[in-house]
Amino acid sequence: MSTPSRVMVLCCPGLRGQDATPAAARRFDRVVAVVTGFCPRVEVTEPGVCAFAARGPARYFGGETALATKIIAALAELGEPGQAGAAEGLFAALLAARQADPVRLVPPGQTVSFLAVQPVTVLGRESTGSESMDLAGLFGRLGLRTLGDLAALPAADVASRFGDAGETAHRLARGLDARPLAPRSPPADLSVTQEFDPPETLAEPVVFAAKALAERLHAGLAARGLTCVRVQAKATWADGRENSRLWRHDGLLTAAALADRVRWQLDGGPAATDGDYYPPGGIATLRLAPDQVVHATGQQLALWGETVISDRVARAAMRVQALLGHEAVLRPVLSGGRNISDQVTAIPFGEKSEPRLAPDRPWPGRVIGAAPGLVFRAARQAEVTDAAGHLVTVSGRCELSAEPARLSVAGDPPCRITGWAGPWPLSERWWDGAAARRRARFQLATEDGRAWLAVVTGGHWLVEAGYW
Amino acid sequence: MGTGLADIGRKSAFWPGVSREHKAPVTGSSGLLPAAGGTAVTGTGIPPALPVLPALRELLPRGGLARGSVVAAAEFGLLCLALAAGASADGAWCAMAGVPEAGVVAAAGLGLVPERTLLVPDPGTGWPQVVASLLDGCELVLLRPPGHVPAQIRQRLEATLRRGRGVLVVAGDWPGAQVRLRVLRQRWTGLGDGHGRLRACCAEVMADDRGEAAAGRTRWLWLPAEDGRVTPADPADLPAGLPLDPPTPLDLPTRLNPSARLNPPGHLAAPALHAVRAG
Repeated sequence: MSTPSRVMVLCCPGLRGQDATPAAARRFDRVVAVVTGFCPRVEVTEPGVCAFAARGPARYFGGETALATKIIAALAELGEPGQAGAAEGLFAALLAARQADPVRLVPPGQTVSFLAVQPVTVLGRESTGSESMDLAGLFGRLGLRTLGDLAALPAADVASRFGDAGETAHRLARGLDARPLAPRSPPADLSVTQEFDPPETLAEPVVFAAKALAERLHAGLAARGLTCVRVQAKATWADGRENSRLWRHDGLLTAAALADRVRWQLDGGPAATDGDYYPPGGIATLRLAPDQVVHATGQQLALWGETVISDRVARAAMRVQALLGHEAVLRPVLSGGRNISDQVTAIPFGEKSEPRLAPDRPWPGRVIGAAPGLVFRAARQAEVTDAAGHLVTVSGRCELSAEPARLSVAGDPPCRITGWAGPWPLSERWWDGAAARRRARFQLATEDGRAWLAVVTGGHWLVEAGYW
Repeated sequence: MGTGLADIGRKSAFWPGVSREHKAPVTGSSGLLPAAGGTAVTGTGIPPALPVLPALRELLPRGGLARGSVVAAAEFGLLCLALAAGASADGAWCAMAGVPEAGVVAAAGLGLVPERTLLVPDPGTGWPQVVASLLDGCELVLLRPPGHVPAQIRQRLEATLRRGRGVLVVAGDWPGAQVRLRVLRQRWTGLGDGHGRLRACCAEVMADDRGEAAAGRTRWLWLPAEDGRVTPADPADLPAGLPLDPPTPLDLPTRLNPSARLNPPGHLAAPALHAVRAG
């Protein structure tokens, strides 16, 4: 078996092992983007670690040391400390990167001797799976202190005694990789742009160009066997203003239909006036970019279970979307959740209707019974006082300071309370600092015949919903 | 919106939906009677009215929401949602414009089908155009206009309505409305002093249609009943504590004080309630 080629590994110790946090993933994505600037084909082996074949870029940048130093410097500009290591094979390069300060290059041909002095415990740390962790401990107990000790054993004996995992460990110890690098190719830019010089002041040529652009976009997608879920249409005016909007595509729109949407978008845009004339200097660029590119697998209409949206409704909804924006026309979906405001998910028209919280779960702690006719978008400030006029407070043990007697909601005259129930405590998501909520709910009926859903949180009274 | 030839034609048509029995037997989950009300078809092939929930039929002329007409409710609330629920359960698409706080859960309980509902919470300054666009696609549009509506815009929307076959339910003031509905009084049951929960609401609803009965009809309804639907209420089992003396006609804001119904959401928009309390 031939020796693996040179591999350079870059690891960001701060971002390693934090795959659970999206923030760390985003930061590492920026790191990968920087590395892609040096070498386009990069493999992300695990969170915080990426690898690429070093031979080509090293020759271009004048040696591995120069390449590694340049990358580390670029990352330092980003604010991410990084370590780079290079060796023959991914495993050795990874070990080198771990020990780097900040660059550690194993000279060509010395990878096996570099590996031979490594303690056998690195197998457990660097390879994946708990199996190799156990195996590393077992090797240690058997007196194999270094990878060199392990590599000195006959491969067949290791395989027969320790099975597949042992064989893999033995290969790694000898400087052979389990697999070659599998770098990802950078995604192709499938967006299409049309520039108007001089800027176009009439609508008709822009829409006509949009149709040609849409055809180019579709051809580019089709050549790769792709389709897109949404299309972003972005118009830039000569004075620098931009108008960008996402349109549902799903591979269903024809070029003419997409051009129609561009026309609606421009008609509803900030610069639209009556007629087909765009006053502030005209449109300079029009760009169509596919959003959420997926493999084209064909379209299958729903057999049942999905409400069929007639063309008439879809046209009306999309005309309103053209006027007000994609997120202005919503379809409600009943959802689960303990709070009234969670129990409806509003999804922009044209997107997949999925409730944010599963509606078929029990959701203990939600307010049961009649549903309120009004759910205020933002809870309204309120004050609930007792008969003496003092603010009613709720203790940490959910004890009321006094019976509520009067309710005054901001903007409404105060009202006598004729019936009340509560407090119903709710402590949600206490494990998540940002989303944690602790509140006590009440239902209050007032003398004008209405009823309210009131909430005490942080010592303040809020009214979340109205029953009338 | 005048009583045109089309209106006269509709009135003379046989209309089996106006069932006069007080308590209609309730069938199906939506509480709609099958083959009654909205499914009757005139010669044009389009039913002349959108069906409403059985409990609301007696309040409306011809037992439904006449296509091409405006129905005004004094303020946004369960009554507006109930008006839309019957048509939605019958298969119509409904849109709600300018009502970001619409309680969809309650509406679904009344019979509204969320899958056939469009919400436009903020129609913005160009709301007449938005409503006209929605009327092209949906058979019922529930609108809360932002503030006073100039007569010119009203007439333009009414013309759009007459051309199409939709119904505009306005939560607020609309001088040209064929029917005006309002909740005169209501009271929730189920709450005690520190115990219980809201169960049902008993409401006296008044309908006042232009041109026909001048006095207006009132009905007691469970809006909603304990199962979330709308049913007629028997005055015998009204909850205690409900002010039972009817409001004096002077308190009705329909003619004397139309601006009283233009209150922003949450305002006490029913002057009759003050009068009841005072009396």
